[in-house]
Amino acid sequence: MRRSNLRWLAVPLLVLPLAWLLFTGLGRDPREIPSPLVGKPLPAISGTALDGSAFSSSQLAGKPALINVWASWCAPCVTEHPLLLDVARQHADELQLIGVLYQDTADNARAFQSRYGDGGWPDVDDASGQIAVALGVTGPPETFFVDALGVVRYRHVGPLTMEVLDERLTALGIEP
Amino acid sequence: MIPTLGHVAVIAGLASTVFAAVAFFIGARRADADLLLVARRAMYAAFGLAVLASVAMVISLLSHDFSVLYVARNNATTTPPFYSVISLWAALQGSILFWTLLATGWAALVLHRFRHRAPALMPWVGLALALASAFFFAVMTWPGDPFLRTSPIAAEGNGPNALLQNHPFMGLHPPLLYLGYTGLAVPFAFGVAALVTRRTDEEWLGIVRRWTLVPWIFLTAGIVAGAWWSYEVLGWGGYWAWDPVENAALLPWLTATAFIHSSMVAERRGTLRVWSHLLVVITFWLTLFGTFLTRSGVVASVHSFTASGIGGWFLGALVITLAAGTALIVWRLPDLGDRRPAGQPVSRESAFLFNNVLFLAISLTVLVGTLYPLAVEAVSDQKVSVGAPWFNRVGAPAFVALLFLMGIGPALPWGGASWATLRRRFALPVVLALLAVGLAVLLGLREMAPLAAIGFAVFVLVVMADEVARGAAARGRARGEPGAKATWRLMTHNRRRYGGYLVHAGICIMAVAIAISATLGTDVTATLSPGEEMRIGAYRLRHERLVVEPLSDDARVRETRAELTLSGPQSGAVTTALRDYPSSTTPIATPSVRSSLGEDLYVTLLAYDPDDESATLHVFVNPMVGWIWLGGAIVAAGAIFAVWPERRRRLPASAAATSAG
Repeated sequence: MRRSNLRWLAVPLLVLPLAWLLFTGLGRDPREIPSPLVGKPLPAISGTALDGSAFSSSQLAGKPALINVWASWCAPCVTEHPLLLDVARQHADELQLIGVLYQDTADNARAFQSRYGDGGWPDVDDASGQIAVALGVTGPPETFFVDALGVVRYRHVGPLTMEVLDERLTALGIEP
Repeated sequence: MIPTLGHVAVIAGLASTVFAAVAFFIGARRADADLLLVARRAMYAAFGLAVLASVAMVISLLSHDFSVLYVARNNATTTPPFYSVISLWAALQGSILFWTLLATGWAALVLHRFRHRAPALMPWVGLALALASAFFFAVMTWPGDPFLRTSPIAAEGNGPNALLQNHPFMGLHPPLLYLGYTGLAVPFAFGVAALVTRRTDEEWLGIVRRWTLVPWIFLTAGIVAGAWWSYEVLGWGGYWAWDPVENAALLPWLTATAFIHSSMVAERRGTLRVWSHLLVVITFWLTLFGTFLTRSGVVASVHSFTASGIGGWFLGALVITLAAGTALIVWRLPDLGDRRPAGQPVSRESAFLFNNVLFLAISLTVLVGTLYPLAVEAVSDQKVSVGAPWFNRVGAPAFVALLFLMGIGPALPWGGASWATLRRRFALPVVLALLAVGLAVLLGLREMAPLAAIGFAVFVLVVMADEVARGAAARGRARGEPGAKATWRLMTHNRRRYGGYLVHAGICIMAVAIAISATLGTDVTATLSPGEEMRIGAYRLRHERLVVEPLSDDARVRETRAELTLSGPQSGAVTTALRDYPSSTTPIATPSVRSSLGEDLYVTLLAYDPDDESATLHVFVNPMVGWIWLGGAIVAAGAIFAVWPERRRRLPASAAATSAG
């Protein structure tokens, strides 16, 4: 009698470990590429913006920021550009956008802006590649979400999507 | 208007499947025929509603109705009509709608075909199918609403996934696969019904055999079509990468194949009965697991849809199905003992048993390899991946052993075999197999895997050919029929057996082709300026010019094309391109594949420099790849031959149908 009841143990023994394993996987995003910067203060970034003004990351304090690494030759950057324009317009007073120009010329970047729209945010020309190295950029487009305290919260590789922006801006305390 | 109609259809579908489930349950408990009839009709209605919702989605896609979020994200005004239609399965929500359409279609078909048969089993079959369909309708009602609206309405949408609009095969591979996946709910439902009603005799196995083979054919064709698509589109020169989602399609195929074999023994000999029940449950579970893997974002894969809240729902369904399925089997375990003693070690039964053990071992290996990265991440927060070499090393020996069993299994008698029988049946095949291997070695083949594959494949083919020849000769002598006619008659009078042989022959061809293409291919990478040449094997390729222009049928896509001239065993113009889609980060390859009987010349563009028009090419010579597709076609044809209805009228069955109707 007892032995025949023991066979019921097979059910939880089979189900529970698998359920646990799949459940732990559920919360993760496999496409999330870990960045050593996440959870750490943004490295100091400085350079000259396309309009000739000087830029330094020390100006960012107090408000969340979105640092977008892009290039005029990068096709996916064209795709995400309208989203960035939208975000800049909608959250002008609660979010700062900074573009970092990656392996590109200022003339090409200006041509890109006149063709696809200029959101008015500063674009820092990273001609020397120092910013890209400091951020650990693999290729454009890449976007870093920085909170009001200047801490990097998320690194997104590839073109931004509405879902990513909604989710990550909410995490920074900005209602999409 | 039309999206609203679709949305209402989804909700009505949920209501109707839930109602059907309740009605099947109560109807079964009270043996209330009227209630069961209503339940069945509710399932027909659910299918009609799924058709309605799918049509609403296709119309929304074709009319580029960007007020629907799904359309805005997966369609653009420039998307050609064909790709607009197949965008139905381009992304998460649409694919669940498509899945529901097929699942309710199978359910309606089964319930209709069996409306006068198996009265004890059918209410429970209906209940299982209704619950499975209800789950998908519920997913579409709550977390994965395909008709979700958006505002403000965009003027232009994102366009479909670039990989999906690059090749017409995308219109074929997913539907075949989905037809296979969804159809495997049918054997599961019958297995559950047999357990619940304690009618675990041969009846359900007899019914389910054909209803497993048909989805199995779709699944097989879907997997082969997917491999072919991967080869023709992805531009990496291969066709199988042990990607988690490829594995997710292979897993139910392996267990369904095991079930097809174990069910034969269970039906004929009354043994392996626990296996059969276990295998239908596992197979269905694995189809759900596959959708969970692709839709939950648990693993990284070329196939994964955007991570979404749907994962939790699928996890719930997985846990419930597995718990309920195993609990049912455990509950009925005392009924599932062997009806007669197992055969001797050298008998057809034990060949089948080994077959099942091997299939399950391969499935477990693949499952462990797929989930291992997840397990490592769960306990140590590190990202690891299990690559193709591991799967190949672990899987290859088991597949070779299966090939061996494929040869001896059908030739061994039930019960047990004497030495004399063994010698008579296997002497010729063994000799010919050894000769084939010797010949291959003489021709310069030194790799173990292809030699083993050739040896065992020849062995299997000779065993089968020998048996068909003997049978046809006997028939020809007895009835005076000429050879070809006698062979055809012999085969059509036992479609199940000889269809199976055809399937085995196709698998043998695939095994040899896979072993050879995986070990004997060569490849060269070179950067060429216009006018320069490269060589690979006997081929010469000259780079003529680099052309950059928008695609003729979709101006938003930019194509960079290297135009080449080929000479050697094949000659002519070859073009290979990279396409930049606005919706894709990385350019999509458009490799050129020149096939011949012996080998494919596969040319893919890796990179280019528009300034000096140079092109970096990756060129492969892939031996025997064409034979994989041919073998796949033979497998499918053999299985179709096996399920094809026998022409002989069975009087008792038709009499029963008329009396019941």
